[in-house]
Amino acid sequence: MILVGELSLWVALLMAAWAATVSFAGGSMGRRDLVASGERAIYATLAMVVLASLGLWTAIFTHDFSFKYVASFTSANLPKAYLFTAFWAGQAGSLLFWCLILAIYSAIAVWTNRTRNRVLMPYVSGTLALVLIFFLATMCLGANPYERLDWIPPDGRGMNPQLQNPGMAIHPPNLYLGYVGTTIPFAFAIAALLTRKLDAEWLAAVRKWALLAWFFNTTGILLGMWWAYVELGWGGYWAWDPVENASLLPWLVNTAFLHSIMVQEKRGMLRKWNVTLVVSTFLLAIFGTFITRSGIISSVHSFAQSPVGNWFAVFLVLAIGITAYLVTTRLKDLEAKAELESMVSREAAFLYNNLILVGIAFSVLWGTLFPIITEAVRGEKITVGPPFFNAVNVPLGLLLLLLTGIGPLIAWRRASVANLQRQFLGPVIALITAPFILLLFGMRDVAAIIAYSFAAFVSMTVVQEFYKGIGARRRMYGEGVIDAFTRLIARNRRRYGGYIVHMGVVVIFCAFAGLAFKKENDLTFKPGDKRDLVDPWGHKWSFVSQGVSQYNVLNREVTAVALEVSRDGQPAGVMTSEKRQHVDSRGAPTFEPSTEVGIKSSFREDVYVVLAGVRDDDSAEIRVTFNPLVRWVWLGGALMAIGGLIVMWPQARKRRVQGGYAATMEPREPVEEPRELVGA
Amino acid sequence: MHTRREFLAAVAAGATGGALLTPSSSDAQKITQTFSGPMEQDAYRSVKLESKPGAVPSMTDAQRDDLEHQIKCQCGCPLDVYTCRTTDFSCSVSPAMHADVMGLVFGGYSASEILAAFQKVYGERVLMSPLKTGFNWLGYVTPSIALATGAVVVFILIRRWGERAARRPVAASVASDATPAELEAINAALKDDS
Repeated sequence: MILVGELSLWVALLMAAWAATVSFAGGSMGRRDLVASGERAIYATLAMVVLASLGLWTAIFTHDFSFKYVASFTSANLPKAYLFTAFWAGQAGSLLFWCLILAIYSAIAVWTNRTRNRVLMPYVSGTLALVLIFFLATMCLGANPYERLDWIPPDGRGMNPQLQNPGMAIHPPNLYLGYVGTTIPFAFAIAALLTRKLDAEWLAAVRKWALLAWFFNTTGILLGMWWAYVELGWGGYWAWDPVENASLLPWLVNTAFLHSIMVQEKRGMLRKWNVTLVVSTFLLAIFGTFITRSGIISSVHSFAQSPVGNWFAVFLVLAIGITAYLVTTRLKDLEAKAELESMVSREAAFLYNNLILVGIAFSVLWGTLFPIITEAVRGEKITVGPPFFNAVNVPLGLLLLLLTGIGPLIAWRRASVANLQRQFLGPVIALITAPFILLLFGMRDVAAIIAYSFAAFVSMTVVQEFYKGIGARRRMYGEGVIDAFTRLIARNRRRYGGYIVHMGVVVIFCAFAGLAFKKENDLTFKPGDKRDLVDPWGHKWSFVSQGVSQYNVLNREVTAVALEVSRDGQPAGVMTSEKRQHVDSRGAPTFEPSTEVGIKSSFREDVYVVLAGVRDDDSAEIRVTFNPLVRWVWLGGALMAIGGLIVMWPQARKRRVQGGYAATMEPREPVEEPRELVGA
Repeated sequence: MHTRREFLAAVAAGATGGALLTPSSSDAQKITQTFSGPMEQDAYRSVKLESKPGAVPSMTDAQRDDLEHQIKCQCGCPLDVYTCRTTDFSCSVSPAMHADVMGLVFGGYSASEILAAFQKVYGERVLMSPLKTGFNWLGYVTPSIALATGAVVVFILIRRWGERAARRPVAASVASDATPAELEAINAALKDDS
């Protein structure tokens, strides 16, 4: 199986090369047989990549340490679950994993379009095959997971302890599913540019894929935040690390696209902009991968420095060059079919939203690259850390939050004064009332007050939209509130799923604002020592040390401290924090020691306990942090994911008219293909 | 293909797998790599100054912790000195840097003087964010300039589009097969939907 897998990698490269060649040839020559051959070659590439993946998993599970990859990332005593995740723990394996996802996506895209988008599909297949070639060639020639050692070590090095976490089993796959998902819209955009068929057809084809990529990118980022919070032990979930930033960039631009696509669908506008956003999302995903894998920027998450970065740099430059050429030579074909009529309209609000989203993306990109630019210009190394990113992005984030509430309130084309008055009354009352209430309750942090006031505004917008929708259904169909609520969402998933995403964003912003009230305490405990602390809500917490213990378990030596905790005099259980020294199968230490955090979570706050060190006299140095509202970050993220799923879920075709009125509109000329609803 | 020597060198370095591609033996001896990046435990440089005459501590513990949030630990991790020393017990650099901060605080030096002393020894990279001077201003103002430029472009485009739309003749009404009552109901629904 391993040998088959090893050979499959090369065969996959040949298959992808064939797919690219005949797909582009078939498309340009109008040869259906070649196009069909190209599509079959995509399926064959998938089969080969699956075999290559199974081969690597087999090598990992059978502890074949003759392979450098297996010896580098696993050991004989590594728990089985982590043998599975070792597949993507290192550079070469994660490239194969990326390739596996891309091959699956490509095959699905080809299969689902076997009777649709036939003019575009040869170029879609060809572009997907080109991207596959890049990844397969990078693996075969640059970072081959099947590279062998010229001797067989008795055991492997094992996996980095910080990767031995359930979060690592799902965070990278999610992120990769999101990153790779941007390739399909990119391929459709290239196909549309090449064929100059830049109408609604390609846009309809990419929307679901863009949503899929957005969904996985969102969940991937959130799972990464959760992993950093529970595993790295520094007490936060976002540090503006270059690799974190790299994952945020395609998410921001893709989010902008998912908003502006609505303007093109409704009004036939922003056509150039949408192509640019689709292409940029993919290029930023590749750029993120370049940062992670090149070692060009020092990061907490990055793979070690490797020549693979050069491959990515070349690919990135070529992709930028080709797409820039295609876009600039097709500007005439991308002329808008309608024009924006008013600065106070839904489409204008989407434009402002896009401006902020892309502005944040630019500032994040700029901050990430500025150390490199400074070193090149001044020869001086600098650090661009959280203070810089917070100073630039917090105001923009707040502005974006406000726009999240404004957009849905404004009518398409041109909002009337009456429309504005009717729509804005409730949300504006919430916006004005919220700060007074917060001040009354003693809140004094200006940024937090602004954030919560904006959150109140957006929440009222969403509630108002649901209230109106439910009311309309109750009047029209006599439904109960619950039925009206569920059917409202089910009948218009895009709109109301989008509102649920917005509520998730509100919840996350509220949770972020809670960080303003974070309290950190550094304490030293001897066994039996008691320390009293007051949390941001004014509750008194007592911590009594139960002492430090040392023991061995599975593949690690553990030093743990236990604290008996009470809140306002009521017992609240025991919290433990550990330092783990992982060992190999011979008991020799591997890697640096790692931290296991003790977390007591509630809806108000997390009590976050970290064992920072143990002194010779058995006293423990402990950091106790009160992190307000952290659970709401995960809940807000879940809400965003649920909203995203609702938006993505296929809408059942209507079989009969349920009620109300149906009007027939005769087109002036025969319509052969889907059109943008100009002037709708 | 890698030899036994190369593999052992990388294992000794505790490097992540990809580091096997760069198995420099000298690096292997002085750098221990964790998931937090290459940890350089010999990156510490002493930052000491003579105490000021009649010096008393220049700040409270809370102010000192705030100050340490502005100084980057030099072990290779992305954290500030305060966060690193209170959470990563395997780091020997942040406690040493903390000791230097304490020495300067007890020596009567202000926050800005302490930051300047650290910068003199380590360079500007020791600060968690670049100083707002000279070339660094470019870093701070570029995002705002880009956003402002974008806003101006959007404003001009919307105005131009609006003017063009206003000049366009209004389309004649299209006959439909709906009754006035039906049209009214559709209009009401659209109004609700907007």
